[in-house]
Amino acid sequence: MTGFANPLAPKANRLQARSAQIKGWVRDTLGLDPDTPVTVAELACQDEGCPDIETVIGILEPDKPIRTARIHRPIAETTAQVVTEALSASSD
Amino acid sequence: MAVPDRIPVFLLSGFLGAGKSTLLNQLLDEPGFSDTAVIINEFGDVSVDHLLVREGETAISQVATGCLCCSGSTDLRATLFDLHCAASAGLCPPFSRVIVEMSGLGDPAPLVNALVGDPHNDATLRDRTVDRVFRLAGFVTLYDIVNGPIAVDRHFEALKQLAFADRIVLTKTDLANDPATQADIAALPGELAGINAGAEIVDRRQMELNTLFAPRPYVAAERGEDVAGWLTLETALAQEARHGAGKGAALPDNRHGRGIQTFSIIRAEPLSEARFRRFMATLQEAAGPRLLRVKGIVAVADDPNRPRIVHAVQHLASEPVILDSWPDDDHRTRLVFITGNVDPGPVRDLFRAVIESDPAPLQSLLAGLGRRVSKPLAPLLRRFTGLSGRPS
Repeated sequence: MTGFANPLAPKANRLQARSAQIKGWVRDTLGLDPDTPVTVAELACQDEGCPDIETVIGILEPDKPIRTARIHRPIAETTAQVVTEALSASSD
Repeated sequence: MAVPDRIPVFLLSGFLGAGKSTLLNQLLDEPGFSDTAVIINEFGDVSVDHLLVREGETAISQVATGCLCCSGSTDLRATLFDLHCAASAGLCPPFSRVIVEMSGLGDPAPLVNALVGDPHNDATLRDRTVDRVFRLAGFVTLYDIVNGPIAVDRHFEALKQLAFADRIVLTKTDLANDPATQADIAALPGELAGINAGAEIVDRRQMELNTLFAPRPYVAAERGEDVAGWLTLETALAQEARHGAGKGAALPDNRHGRGIQTFSIIRAEPLSEARFRRFMATLQEAAGPRLLRVKGIVAVADDPNRPRIVHAVQHLASEPVILDSWPDDDHRTRLVFITGNVDPGPVRDLFRAVIESDPAPLQSLLAGLGRRVSKPLAPLLRRFTGLSGRPS
């Protein structure tokens, strides 16, 4: 990371910016290589008593089955702490 | 690159009110599209979209009351199979191109997977037929320059629709008359590049329909890392669901959550057009951005044989289109509402109050639309309706 911010780069939209943050938290928590694909999506939650929308994280490590983690809140409300908790729960 | 000789299927997306039906109407008027079958999908409990598109000689298949992306890939494949069978049996005109109008809230991932994904081991004869006969040949997303920026900032589906596109069409650019807005439009391709750097972006006013829907290879991997990730995640979740892998593994029946509501108002008696306009204006003022979409057909008392087609998106309402006749035997007013956390009850009460001049305490009706809007809107409501807004 050079710390250089291109002033002419397109503005990131709010959901995109938070998705990028979530990916960063996942990589930091799991100690993943920066090139390991991590994907973030929002879906309606199926579980009784849970909030309306959940964030689903997919970790696509080479030569391994995709690993998923679910966070019972929308992308915009997801924090580093809940990402860490969800990853911990998904590995149990 | 050689393109296999299969019937090209185009996905047409765009968030609620982006102008998909308008574009389809323009397209169906073009002689070059007379061989096109159209699949219309809508999110709502009463289907009206097929009324908003003129049918002509085109094979139109409507997937009503539900979202193709919510029902998974099976409904799209079933509809394509049915169209193929109907054309083979001479039950509908033959076609050499298919356009699927996605619901405005449609998630592209399951639909793209349905058309490009590898069939799983238990694929049926129907699935194999669809794979043999059809191929995804393009993904067009309409981006409404007025409401698009808010939609993309708030709704993940809107973001995904842009990211999956290989062509993005800027709509409602004709509403930009001042130099500042025109400058904003000129800057849009740069801003949209942050979501999708590879898509070709065209202004609705300059687009060539033949080019927009010319078959080309659609390579999902070329759409960027996010799209590839979403498709892989979708496949993984579908496999988890098939194998019942634990709590929360199933794909949701409704991807949009309980925060997105859809409901309808149906009324047999024709309405006063002036009162209907007052109702719409009041509702738009009160609900604002939470009124994601209103569409429908309205029977007008002064002109009952010529229904009005109405469209509204958040604060923006199009001037109603007057049809020369009813498109089907059902001559009732049918309105579909898609909202973000606006309950049907208060909207129906407001409709009744304005249409029937019911002297109900209107502040309490508005209160149902949200606490923050009821108080400041009471004077507005009195102005629009001429009714008392004082609590009883």
